[in-house]
Amino acid sequence: MNALAKPTPWYFQPTTILVAGCLVAIINFGARSTFGLFTLPISQAHQWPRETYSFAIALQNLLWGIATPVAGALADRYGSARVLMAGALIYALGILGMIYADTGPMIDLMGGVLVGIGIAMSSFSIVMAALGRLVPPEKRSWAFGLATASGSLGQALFIWPIGQTVSLFGWQTGLLCLAVAALCIIPLAAPLLIQNTSGAAKQKGEADLTMVQAIAQAFGHRSYLLLVAGFFVCGFQLAFITVHFPPYLAEHGISKEIAWASMLCIGLFNVVGAYASGIIGGRGEKRYPLSAIYFARAAIYTIFILTPISTFSTVIFACAIGFLWLSTVPLTMGIVTTMFGTRYMATLYGFVFLSHQIGSFLGVWLGGRLYDLYGNYNVVWWMSVGLGVFAGLINLPIKEQRAPSFEAA
Amino acid sequence: MNLPGHKFFVGLFLGIIVVWLMVMVMLVRASALAPEATGTMLAVFEPKTTSDQAFAAIANSGGKPIRQSSFSFIWVVSGDEAGLAGKLKANGALGAYRELPISPMIAGCFAYADAKVSTVFGD
Repeated sequence: MNALAKPTPWYFQPTTILVAGCLVAIINFGARSTFGLFTLPISQAHQWPRETYSFAIALQNLLWGIATPVAGALADRYGSARVLMAGALIYALGILGMIYADTGPMIDLMGGVLVGIGIAMSSFSIVMAALGRLVPPEKRSWAFGLATASGSLGQALFIWPIGQTVSLFGWQTGLLCLAVAALCIIPLAAPLLIQNTSGAAKQKGEADLTMVQAIAQAFGHRSYLLLVAGFFVCGFQLAFITVHFPPYLAEHGISKEIAWASMLCIGLFNVVGAYASGIIGGRGEKRYPLSAIYFARAAIYTIFILTPISTFSTVIFACAIGFLWLSTVPLTMGIVTTMFGTRYMATLYGFVFLSHQIGSFLGVWLGGRLYDLYGNYNVVWWMSVGLGVFAGLINLPIKEQRAPSFEAA
Repeated sequence: MNLPGHKFFVGLFLGIIVVWLMVMVMLVRASALAPEATGTMLAVFEPKTTSDQAFAAIANSGGKPIRQSSFSFIWVVSGDEAGLAGKLKANGALGAYRELPISPMIAGCFAYADAKVSTVFGD
């Protein structure tokens, strides 16, 4: 009888699913990292002040954060593949719409709302949820690291070819390439369809909670709240660096060349750091390496701002902070899964990520606001240090075990 | 469950980087300017070229040096005269490329590799 059992087709094999998940994460995160390249050409083409396009991208980041828990809930209910496919379609439509948007509200709708929702629905957190269900528990952290590292690689690789395409063939062609890339997520998500029948099913050892009950229970769980607060700091620190680091370097006489090279170092070291963090997370308790990352960031920030800024110190800082950049993600996702299981992990991680995005918003906004107020970035740098220590401390008491209300009776 | 190991994914990532390099090579090839081109461009010289030599070559071509990259042999040049790209080549530049939006230093490295290959194949 067993001899008649049909073998699993190659496209549903774990290796295919992992590779496809990596490619989805590369495209999703890669494409979203290029929108800054369109600020000038789109603003010039429509004779807009820079604020018009910037507002759409700010809206995109906000929508990405808000839509992530919703996308996660949909993925937990209907399976990651369908959400990724729908997200890719929305992402591509939004990007295509940006080509034809010739008014502020239209670019807000296309580049802000649609692209933001598209990014959330086809993001690597949805991929992580899929991979987390695919692999055995002892390999879960590694799988999260793999998906995060893939996203980081996309971020490092997309920006140049797209920049070059915009320069050579115009911004419309650049956007068209991004839309085509986003559509490639649809076939790449197909291998994940194998999970659709079991995505929302109660797993062995997990309590039978509805999604609303799970969310309510999670927000009543102290360790989850500590994790959410810690991830807020991650968003604050990273977004501040992303936006304000290049002008900070320029103020200290570091050339644009070195600023670009530093951002590249951050991108490449991020790949290594995210992957390594996934491996480390699989070897023991995750809260210790997570705390260590926040403490290390605080230490690196302190050393950087207290030492004279040179090309050497900038590159070393970039490599070090790059290594720690998204290395918090596999550990955070891993702790969410340990506490609440896999059934609602995309939803519950989505809320943690929302806190990250609020932190990002404040990191960017306060960076600019306090710079205008004091004429330098010192206050925000020291805020980042203080928040790093705070996040390191609050991650230590996290109880890395199944939350009582999520345990099967 | 049979899952691939670290080596598999290192190989996958390296493979993706190779594909990326191929795309970059094609895009940089497409950025190479015809001799009659003018405007703002990236001039790429031999790496042993000093800043003074590169500056002189740009001036002799009728171009205006806008900025030097962190490498002395890669310059952003501007000029109104027709044929600036050709003149730069005649004055010792390996090639002239459309100004690249991302770091001239890194873009210049791709351009240098492209210019070298073009020289070898007599393009």
